[in-house]
Amino acid sequence: MKATCDRDALREGLAIICGVIPTKSPKPILSNVCLVATDDLVELVGTDQEVSVRFKLDKVDVAEPGPVVIPARTAFDFVRDLSGETVTISTDDSRCTITSGEDSCELVVADPDEFPVVPRFDDQGSVSVQGGSFSRLVGRTAFAAAREPGRYAMHGVLTELDNDQLRLVATDGRRLSMASIPVEMAGAEKTSAIIPTKGMQLFCRVIPDPLDQIRLSLKEGQVGLRSKNAEIFARLIDGDFPQYSAVIPAECGNAIEADAEQFTRKLRLVSNVSGDETRAVRFRVKGEKLELFGHSADRGEATAHMEVAFKGEEAEIAFNADYVLDGLKNGAPERVILEFGQKTSPGKFTLGENHIYIVMPITLDA
Amino acid sequence: MATPPPLTILHVDMDAFYASVEIRDNPSLQGLPVCVGGPAASRGVIAAASYEARRFGVHSALATAVARRMCPDLVLLPPDFDKYTAVSRQVMAIFRRYTPTVEPLSLDEAFLDVSGSERLFGDAEQIGRRIKDDILRETSLVASVGVAPTKFLAKLASDLDKPDGFRVIRHGEERSVLDPLPVSKIFGVGPRSAKRLQAMGVRTIGDLASRPRRVVARQFGASAIWIHDLAHGIDPRRVTPRREEKSHGMERTFAEDISDQEELRGLLMSFSEEVAFYLRDKGLRGKTVTLKARFSDFKTVTRTKTLAHATNLGPRIYSVASELLNRIDDRPLRLLGVQISRLEDVRQPVQTTLFNGAMAEPSSRRDYLASAEKLAKVTPSLDKLRRKFGRGVVVPAAILDKSLPRGRDGTGATGEASRADGREPGLDGEFPGGPGGLPVED
Repeated sequence: MKATCDRDALREGLAIICGVIPTKSPKPILSNVCLVATDDLVELVGTDQEVSVRFKLDKVDVAEPGPVVIPARTAFDFVRDLSGETVTISTDDSRCTITSGEDSCELVVADPDEFPVVPRFDDQGSVSVQGGSFSRLVGRTAFAAAREPGRYAMHGVLTELDNDQLRLVATDGRRLSMASIPVEMAGAEKTSAIIPTKGMQLFCRVIPDPLDQIRLSLKEGQVGLRSKNAEIFARLIDGDFPQYSAVIPAECGNAIEADAEQFTRKLRLVSNVSGDETRAVRFRVKGEKLELFGHSADRGEATAHMEVAFKGEEAEIAFNADYVLDGLKNGAPERVILEFGQKTSPGKFTLGENHIYIVMPITLDA
Repeated sequence: MATPPPLTILHVDMDAFYASVEIRDNPSLQGLPVCVGGPAASRGVIAAASYEARRFGVHSALATAVARRMCPDLVLLPPDFDKYTAVSRQVMAIFRRYTPTVEPLSLDEAFLDVSGSERLFGDAEQIGRRIKDDILRETSLVASVGVAPTKFLAKLASDLDKPDGFRVIRHGEERSVLDPLPVSKIFGVGPRSAKRLQAMGVRTIGDLASRPRRVVARQFGASAIWIHDLAHGIDPRRVTPRREEKSHGMERTFAEDISDQEELRGLLMSFSEEVAFYLRDKGLRGKTVTLKARFSDFKTVTRTKTLAHATNLGPRIYSVASELLNRIDDRPLRLLGVQISRLEDVRQPVQTTLFNGAMAEPSSRRDYLASAEKLAKVTPSLDKLRRKFGRGVVVPAAILDKSLPRGRDGTGATGEASRADGREPGLDGEFPGGPGGLPVED
């Protein structure tokens, strides 16, 4: 093959590939990227066999079509540090030469036949979503997914297509974030699947223009996403997602409504003093006044007050401040509503339209 | 030197505690060489010896078989730790009448700091006398008391006139008391260090004190500073009423090696129950469970697992310990033990979980956790019964009516408890097994 392309586009494509391929694998072929040049297009393909990417480079000048398989990280490092505007990739039997201006490198190549087969996106049964709304939906939810080992089903984002709604839910067992957007299902089947968090985050990276439409498909144990310049496939997590609807309280008794920015500021202020282990901040509300209190045996204590709209009796509850701040940051609401009942029952944060964030409290005197 | 440290520290040590309790409760034993410990037939050791027995050279931690040879008329009794614990509580309560600063070292000894109590009860010497009298009057047992400006001297003082001792070491008397004593009286100088000191020509504390510090340091490195200070009667340690425990465990060396898995699991269950009860009693819970096993060839292995949430429930500890037992070779065991560490106060804030915590664990555990929740609810009531009628009044059905194999110390169902609290070992009382002894009841 021989093709010339824009350096920045190539670097961006290789960066995405490097985000997918395994750092260590018993299969050395997976540490490579496969570049396939066709008429006026170069496609970069990478996979760790759980998540696969096809990334398209346009504005390319293909002199000779064909595939080449080269070490992905080395290629990325080299291209990243190049200074020329365009890069030419050319191959002979055993070498791949990357040239830009007066600089060049030769990389060893692997046999393209050994490279795993990566599927192509099939529009059949897929739904169309605006890229920007999709990214935002992922941002509002994926942060709450479990990271610790041992909670397999919670290492992904539950994705439900039902009743012209696309709903995402993520939880680590202590907090849960749920958000939805309207979609036109247009004949797509009602589905529920767990998409690995890594795949979800990658989806957002290949949506360059928020106004572009993307297509999403969930079938045969696999999720596929197609944006203008990429196709991503991820193997779905085969597990039982917890019965999330059961833990979303309907009636809570107490409801606070506050300005989100001020609330965030006060909460962060107090959390600076709460301990490392539990990060507990106590919320006490009386009348129209919310008091936030944090303390730790080895640091001291802090108190902050703010005006809120409050419905309910005098009440208190404690949360891990980091969890609440995570929700506020990722939800980026203007107003925040917190509903809660007893000290030991979940707190329900409404962080904008169709975005609910449940945080389990910390019990201070069990 | 600035103002000398005030004379405020007491060390109270019960004389031949376990043996004395037994003699008190059975006056026909009066005057006989009485020992508490495990039978010779099962590799037992002596846990405590009366002064009559000591005259024959019998002492704690001695193999019972050897003790029998030294003293053929020895009266050997099995230990009854529930009883000793109850008496210990009584004694510790007496201490607390005079000062809140009580640091128990084991069931039968404690340090007290009486500074601040003088206006109520008189000076340290008077308080020491009153405590000794109270103990005799209320428990019919004899205690030896040492009064001194430091812990080291107080402990030494209580030992000097034992049994039925009462000794005050005042500031200014340190040298005359310490100088003639053998260096092995210094806490931290064991037989090996004593030998090395002897090689340097140091036999008495006086010898040691007269050596320049750097000469001692050349031989003993960092610990030299410690023993050299003590030789000069310098001991800055304070009496700390609550020592923070870092772990609590129980282990047992068997009279005969055990290979039966069911039997081993039964033991694990009773250890787990006992350790859990102790934690609850202290208002603690722990996060890391460690299983310790010693094979017949003395090879010792440990396996550890950390829980997502700290616990003080026996079945929870047992389920982990049992899982850990699966991870060691299926060979006959000489010793088995369970320890729980990363302890925290039960009043620590707890992050509650969604889905009843079920998703925090592999799904096969869900049922277990549901039952754990119930267990957590009923446990306080069960503990009330246990405190009132004895630990054995409620036990898991799996270990009901199963007599546990006798351990080397002859203890029945209790095993040996150990605690690690980051303190220097060696201050503990008569109970064999190095640092530890039984849990201190306070």
